[in-house]
Amino acid sequence: MSSLDHDIDRAAGQGGRLRYRLRLALRDPTTVIGILMAVLFLYLIIVPILSILGDSVTVQFGDERRIKAEGGTFTLYYLERALSSRVAQDLFWVPLLNTLKVAAGAIVLSLAIGTILAWLIARTDMFGRRWFATALIVPYMLPAWTFALAWSTLFKNRTVGGQQGWLEAIGLTPPDWVAYGQFPITVILALHYTPFVILLFGSALRRFDSQLEDSARILGASSYTVARQVILPLMRPALLSAVVLIFAKCLGEFGVPYVLGLPVKFDVLATSLYRSIGSRQTGVAGVLAGAIMLIGMIAILIDAWLAREARRFVTVGSKGAMNRASKLKKWRLPATGFAGTMFIFGVGLPIFTLALSTVMRRPGIFEWSNFTLDYWIGRDLPTVAMKTGILLSPDLWRAAWNTISIVGMASICSGILGILTGYVVVRTSFRPLAVFLRQVTFMPYLVPGIAFAAAYLSLFAVSRGPVPALYGTTAILVLALMADQMPYASRAGISAMMQLGKDPEEAAQIVGAGWLKRMTSVVIPIQKGSLVTGILLPFISGIKGLSLFVILAVPATDVLTTFSLRLVDYNYTQAANAVVLIIAGLAYAGTLLAQKLTRTNLAEGLGN
Amino acid sequence: MPDIILSNVQKSYGGGSPNAVSALDLHIGDGEFMCLLGPSGCGKTTTLRMVAGLENLSGGELRIGERVVDSAEKGVFIGPEKRGMGLVFQSYALWPHLTIERNTDFGLRLRKVPKAEREERVNRVMKALDIEKFRNRYPSQLSGGQQQRVALARMLAVNPGVLLLDEPLSNLDARLRLEMRAELKRIHEEFRTTILFVTHDQWEAMTLATSIAVMNEGTLQQLGTPNDIYDRPANRFVAEFVGSPPINILELASDHALDRAAKEWLRVRLGDRSDLGSVGIRPEALKLASSEAAIPTGSFHHEATITGVLPTGGSWIVEINCAGRMIFMTTTESPRWRGGEQVWLHARPSALHVFDTSRSRLTAADKALARADAGVAAVREA
Repeated sequence: MSSLDHDIDRAAGQGGRLRYRLRLALRDPTTVIGILMAVLFLYLIIVPILSILGDSVTVQFGDERRIKAEGGTFTLYYLERALSSRVAQDLFWVPLLNTLKVAAGAIVLSLAIGTILAWLIARTDMFGRRWFATALIVPYMLPAWTFALAWSTLFKNRTVGGQQGWLEAIGLTPPDWVAYGQFPITVILALHYTPFVILLFGSALRRFDSQLEDSARILGASSYTVARQVILPLMRPALLSAVVLIFAKCLGEFGVPYVLGLPVKFDVLATSLYRSIGSRQTGVAGVLAGAIMLIGMIAILIDAWLAREARRFVTVGSKGAMNRASKLKKWRLPATGFAGTMFIFGVGLPIFTLALSTVMRRPGIFEWSNFTLDYWIGRDLPTVAMKTGILLSPDLWRAAWNTISIVGMASICSGILGILTGYVVVRTSFRPLAVFLRQVTFMPYLVPGIAFAAAYLSLFAVSRGPVPALYGTTAILVLALMADQMPYASRAGISAMMQLGKDPEEAAQIVGAGWLKRMTSVVIPIQKGSLVTGILLPFISGIKGLSLFVILAVPATDVLTTFSLRLVDYNYTQAANAVVLIIAGLAYAGTLLAQKLTRTNLAEGLGN
Repeated sequence: MPDIILSNVQKSYGGGSPNAVSALDLHIGDGEFMCLLGPSGCGKTTTLRMVAGLENLSGGELRIGERVVDSAEKGVFIGPEKRGMGLVFQSYALWPHLTIERNTDFGLRLRKVPKAEREERVNRVMKALDIEKFRNRYPSQLSGGQQQRVALARMLAVNPGVLLLDEPLSNLDARLRLEMRAELKRIHEEFRTTILFVTHDQWEAMTLATSIAVMNEGTLQQLGTPNDIYDRPANRFVAEFVGSPPINILELASDHALDRAAKEWLRVRLGDRSDLGSVGIRPEALKLASSEAAIPTGSFHHEATITGVLPTGGSWIVEINCAGRMIFMTTTESPRWRGGEQVWLHARPSALHVFDTSRSRLTAADKALARADAGVAAVREA
């Protein structure tokens, strides 16, 4: 064979190889679907983030004169303004410091309470520990600012207008530091995140093998030594992980500092960002959002690193694992009392206060004549805007409908996209695609909701190319919420598909089923259950979500959370509290329903 | 069903990892019951999946009769749906949302087989596998062994020309394993399908297969009948992988007294050779004698000390210290020996498997040793 022939032969071989690859890739639509989804996520997750980061370094519309540069050109003005100008203290540094102070306080407090409760529930013979195991998680199922409203119902003083708190009404003026600012925000966030510690630390404790403890005892260690040298080091990863996650959540927390910080101008990063957007300082908002994202990312990366470190000494709960309950003896009653007290402060008191406040005309006066159901079902009320009780108000029903349709739509979309992501990740023969999908859907997890909302605002406020301006539509809310839920949805989808594995589908393939047939009669029917959970869970956390909506919703697209916040702003205390109670009720009922449907404890899955 | 021919098949997963399968040539004839045997990670399951069409080839060609079904060079790939094979997964992979009956008739419905015929065929396989009574149950309500039968029935229902089994017995307990083994043999005869199955269990391979392909690190080590594999291992790997307790190996290059003795013994019978690498002797081929005089002349022998006798129920494993080296022997006769006793270890010449320095069987030695064997017998008679 001449060398020319040989070359031709090889060329044909290469052509064949290419054709072969193409044939394999297109044999079923998995890869094509994966590529389409990758493009979608690129646009819904990466582009908004890039857009707001871009805003922070380009001259914004309306700022041309001040900056003396063309709109859209590069500038460091906003960075300077937020970080080193005369207003930088108010815009960035003080809010940053406040955020850190609040987060640190909340972490210390919730760890102190949470670890004790977790231990009591997981490893002692405290009375009613099964009941407490669920009851103490309840605060986590409610929106955090439920507690903020309850707090201000009790402690609001004469510093601000509107209806006073109960204490002020009976003549005990609470000082400002009790009523507003750092102290109440810290306490409330601590209460809200204590369940988080109970869950994380509790599950680590449950997995902890008593035999490890026993071995140390047999070698002669005192219980103090055992705690310090055996238990604590092994629990450290769980504790550190709780610290980092609480920190990341505090970073994006908007509702609580908004309700309790505003009266004394106590700004955190989230509220400062909200204000920058409200006052149309898009560039500064970009810087703030970027800062929040950066801190959030660092926190989560630290957590990921800790998790990897922790895996080095997993305490394997194999057959020998024993979980022996410590006898509390004379401490049994006091311990139960402590848990009960925490339940009262964490759940009972706030809910009771809120509920009672909605049926009282004037605060703090406990006389029969002061009680009324008008705020729920009354007509022709003498107030300016709320002429009827909340249940008769069309605004409530519109907000409720918006909530269900927007959150529902977003949850259904993210649930389906989550399963599809799982399918593609598990099945595609094109590995880079799987890696990209896995990572891109995880990204919103690193970005606190409020920063993500700001990013959406930055991208979709004006029309770009074929995409019209979406601000003010329900579409922007659905898209943002959907993208925000993707980390949970895709994680659920991937783990469901991993668990199922390839085998059942390949078995169908072997007996001759094509792709469509396999999807409709094998994959989807088997994954029905996880699809339902994948939709229900984000739906529950979406109902009580605030930070996304507060940036992106307009009065026409009011949802329950923004509606109640508006009522707070207008000082309709009873109505606002009533709406929050409705939200809390929905979130709680939804969690119970989901728990029933899936026969599992879902409190852990409620990441948002 | 025509033959399945793998020629020069390669499989690599890229990323610099070694080939999962390389240069594999295999011919699976019609009606054969072939076993791919090897340690985990040897490429046997990958090979099975390539035959099924669940993995594509990285190189080489796969044919079913004259029809090329997978060839990167020719740009041909026929999907698993169109190969008309059956595959029983190690995990069984029953569809959890379908009843046993629907699991079984899935493939027939897919082929739009008329109802009457479908029922008849489903009934036949269900009867053959004794799963009729589970017809309306769901897979999760069945035990492992029952699930296994359903997984088989599901594939047999579509009447595949080739049945592929991935570690079919590994998830069953010992008793069920025996039953299923017999069942598989019966199915092979009743349905007259070609069966290709994968296992890492040598007894499974020995008892079931008509031919065994031993694989290691992605390459074929030996293809032969079960007796071939055991009695004439083609190389050190096959010799050491098959057999339990494992074959005793003497490294001829070493300075050890026993090894030197073996080398000297071989030099007498094979002449001076520079390519002698090692010698293997299976534990059951070894015999013990209380004195040198009791040893048949001409057999390989060495002085030794008994260190332990381990009963295994019906047979015994004898641990022997042979000049500081541990040797295993098995016997079905109740041993008279006790720990610490001085004995003589011996084996007839043909029980020695000689491997060359590149670890392949030295076939030239076989004939010479067989002749030597005849000599031993003669002496004994005399």
